[in-house]
Amino acid sequence: MKNSKTKSTIIKVMIYVFLTLVAIIYLAPLLWVFMVSFKTNAEIFTSPFALPESFYLDNFIFAWTAGKLGIATLNSFIVCGVTLVLSMLIGSMAAFAIGRLRWKLAGPCMTFFMIGMMIPVHCVMIPLFTRFAKIGLSNSLIGLVLPYLTFSLPVTIFIMTGFFKSMPNELIESACIDGASIYGIFFKIALPLSKTGLFVTGLMTFVANWNELLLAMVLISDDTKKTLPVSLSKFVGPYNTNYSQMFAAIIIAIIPTIIVYCIFSNQIVDGLTAGAVKG
Amino acid sequence: MDKLLRDKKAIIIFITPALLLFTVVLFIPICQSVYYSFCEYKGLTAPKFIGLTNYRNMLKDKSLVYALKNSLFFLIFSCLTQLVIGLLLAGLLTNIEKGRNLFKNIIYLPCVLSSTALGLLWMFIFSPKLGVNQLLAKFGMEGPKWLMDTSGFIILPMWVIAFVALWQYVGQSMMLYMAQISGISKSLYEASYIDGCSKVKSFIHITLPLIRPMVATAMSLNAIGSLKFFDLIFNMTEGGPNHRTEVLATHLYTQGFKFNKYGYASAIGVILIVLCLAVTAFINKVVKTENYEM
Amino acid sequence: MKRKLLAAILSVAMAATLLTGCGGAASTSGDSTASADSEASADGVQEISWMFWDDLNATEDLITKGYGEVIDRFNKDYEGKYHVTPITTNLEEYYPKLNALVAANETPDVFIVSPGPNLTDYVDPGVAAPLDSYLADGWKDTFTSDAVFSQMTYDGQIYAVPLNTAAACAFYNTEMFEAAGAKVPTNWDEMLDACEKLQAAGYTPITISAGTAWCLSMVAGYLCEMEGVDLAALADGSASWEDGKLEAAATKLVELSKYFQPTAAGDTNDVATANFYNGEAAILIQGSWAIGQINGENPDFESKCGVFQFPGVERVIAKSDSLAMSSSTKCPEACIALMKYFTDDTAQKYTAEIGGKIPVTKVEYDASVAPQQLAYVMDVFGNAKGTFGFYNESMPTTETGAHFDDTMVSVFLGDMTPAEAATDMEDFYASNCR
Repeated sequence: MKNSKTKSTIIKVMIYVFLTLVAIIYLAPLLWVFMVSFKTNAEIFTSPFALPESFYLDNFIFAWTAGKLGIATLNSFIVCGVTLVLSMLIGSMAAFAIGRLRWKLAGPCMTFFMIGMMIPVHCVMIPLFTRFAKIGLSNSLIGLVLPYLTFSLPVTIFIMTGFFKSMPNELIESACIDGASIYGIFFKIALPLSKTGLFVTGLMTFVANWNELLLAMVLISDDTKKTLPVSLSKFVGPYNTNYSQMFAAIIIAIIPTIIVYCIFSNQIVDGLTAGAVKG
Repeated sequence: MDKLLRDKKAIIIFITPALLLFTVVLFIPICQSVYYSFCEYKGLTAPKFIGLTNYRNMLKDKSLVYALKNSLFFLIFSCLTQLVIGLLLAGLLTNIEKGRNLFKNIIYLPCVLSSTALGLLWMFIFSPKLGVNQLLAKFGMEGPKWLMDTSGFIILPMWVIAFVALWQYVGQSMMLYMAQISGISKSLYEASYIDGCSKVKSFIHITLPLIRPMVATAMSLNAIGSLKFFDLIFNMTEGGPNHRTEVLATHLYTQGFKFNKYGYASAIGVILIVLCLAVTAFINKVVKTENYEM
Repeated sequence: MKRKLLAAILSVAMAATLLTGCGGAASTSGDSTASADSEASADGVQEISWMFWDDLNATEDLITKGYGEVIDRFNKDYEGKYHVTPITTNLEEYYPKLNALVAANETPDVFIVSPGPNLTDYVDPGVAAPLDSYLADGWKDTFTSDAVFSQMTYDGQIYAVPLNTAAACAFYNTEMFEAAGAKVPTNWDEMLDACEKLQAAGYTPITISAGTAWCLSMVAGYLCEMEGVDLAALADGSASWEDGKLEAAATKLVELSKYFQPTAAGDTNDVATANFYNGEAAILIQGSWAIGQINGENPDFESKCGVFQFPGVERVIAKSDSLAMSSSTKCPEACIALMKYFTDDTAQKYTAEIGGKIPVTKVEYDASVAPQQLAYVMDVFGNAKGTFGFYNESMPTTETGAHFDDTMVSVFLGDMTPAEAATDMEDFYASNCR
């Protein structure tokens, strides 16, 4: 008995050692870029791994203002925020119709939406781009919201349908008896009861769109309307790249996410996973 | 109540916005895309129908061969490694108490970060003047040309990029498996221990079969994700050197938006859709079986 | 209850319209920066846009900074009459973005473009306007010669105005050459000899970037010129890539690559240039636009930086930034006024004295203020028996140019033999260009 106990302790220790190594692989690159972002260009090349000699903040100021990361962050917020609200509203409305209301085409409708999950955005990029250019939606944030919204809907609908379906019938019945309309049931009963679902889908939508590069790159050309990933990829120029500013820009782009993540990590991780489990 | 739930007007009001968006932003463009793929379309002039020429040109396009090869490599690599390493990490994490959340959160972190930022970061780490090679040089070793080596069937840069993708996204698979494992009833394990099973054995005989549906889910997510893969490659190598690290998505972007060959790029897009649908169907058929009671 | 719900839906609908309204407003306000909506605004100011491939504020490039000054000067001098708003991208994204704006009927009023297939792309569908009538008023006479327009002339009409010329030269570290006992090469054998001596003295002879494909391709272009490759004949099919000339050039490239810095394959253009001004390598083959970067990053380097023409060739590679005007602009006068600002004496003086590029007009500049290297480049330029364009910009399509760059990188990496490269180029031309 004692023998097996020491054996299991050894195994435990080995597990911890292994996991610590994994954690180092995860954190080291991030710490390195953080450290380097305070250096001057010359320092980066002469001693990439030493601690910075002084905290040189100009890189950050430059990246934020001249590099237009400030405005890009704002744009990202606007686009993601609007998409988030709309996708939750429109998505849960459709999910309610599919999961709760009784009509023949609910099943096929669901399949139609689910196909959207499998279609990569690249395949519709060219028609979207040419169409949007014709009707003046290219180079505008609205033009970005529309595809973001559409590609966020399948997941939202899928998860929310699950929530609405698992909702106890009695609640709706009693609301009916109280004389509530179908809209009342949706807004006053169904939605409040699926807060977790809304949180999860909202989170997934936000994270996905916050990091989206390709569509934004294709649809937006105006500097003042670029989102964060696009402005960031612009920092590498074919004629010259200012390395220290580049690193500062990377930090600016990921720090807000890391802070939010640190505060809410458990909810976020569980929420996103819950979403994926249902998806 | 039944009448209330069959209210036609309500159904229409609830479903229309989503249906409309889907039709206009997704369905119609897909159809258009298929049409463009049969056209010569350069952007500045109207599309001209040319039949199968774009598809025939694909056969001669060396970069497309690379792209296809790399995309498939990526697909297989990420499905396998995410499964194995994701399961391994999930298995280890469910077996420890202290620090489980910490490790879990650290490993999951890159999933929520911008892949553009991470791509650039890793590009610098693997660039010859900074990062890994400088570190190796301190120990007197000469590192390989991580992102420029072109020897071998699957070239080194692809392995590097695949590693970075694994690094970034394995947290997702790990979490999915963990959620499923923690859902398995403790009594099943207790019963197996009484029968004299070791932990490893019970993992093989209880855990693995019970998480099979989740494997299908995680795998389809990985598969579609890896076919869509764009950001990391675009920021790390831009498909270079000489298109050797091109994948379908980057090739589509270059052909369509750099060289303005909309028609040809649409044809690549059609191939991509077909692949996505086929792979999802395949995974669901082969891996997914009936759900076990837990 | 029902009424409440209706109210709720109405408010949602309103919110939605509000949102779109906002978006619309935002996009119109933004349009002034991005579109060709160059109608005179209410206060009578004619709004035009100018598109450029570098960020005017975030740049370190002296030429770009000079363009920024031109824009400021123009907006100040014409305040109340004309106003120009720059649209900037990075170079990689420039043409895709420009094409996007053209497709959206939002062609910028004035845009920068490289002569060659890029300009052809806009001349052929009529996007760029012919400028002869505007040049006729004496503007054309301010330029050094009519030859500066040769690459921008289609069927006898001029479609773009050059702003400056840069020549691709070999920059070298005079101290290293002296220490190694190497002398400035005038032909291929002397070049190899000089590299050999530099290497024997413990220096890295050449710094180059294969990570940025066009840098390597520039050297390949010179080597092709040395072998007598005729691009025009190749394009119309009267010559073949497989006639041995490209193979010979590529073989020379491989030969020369022995003297490159060990990290050449992965280094970007910046790193390669930095290697030179930080004294880690003796020769840098680059466009003369690099002068600004070199002197800007390491001011002490100017005195020991020499320039020689790429050995073994008689012509030099030259490239002009040029401006084209949209044929759909509503304010051609404003556009022309802007273009004239780019070629006036102030701007051209800046080009030479600070930017370190070769001016295109007959402006008199103070050679003692200008970077030393410029005088050397001017010498090289003056002694050359003509110019030719960058190889990747002298081929039938931009894709072909990119393919050439990539092929040369493959040769350098040992991925393709010179003979395979020739076959590959021939195949590509056969199926795409003829």
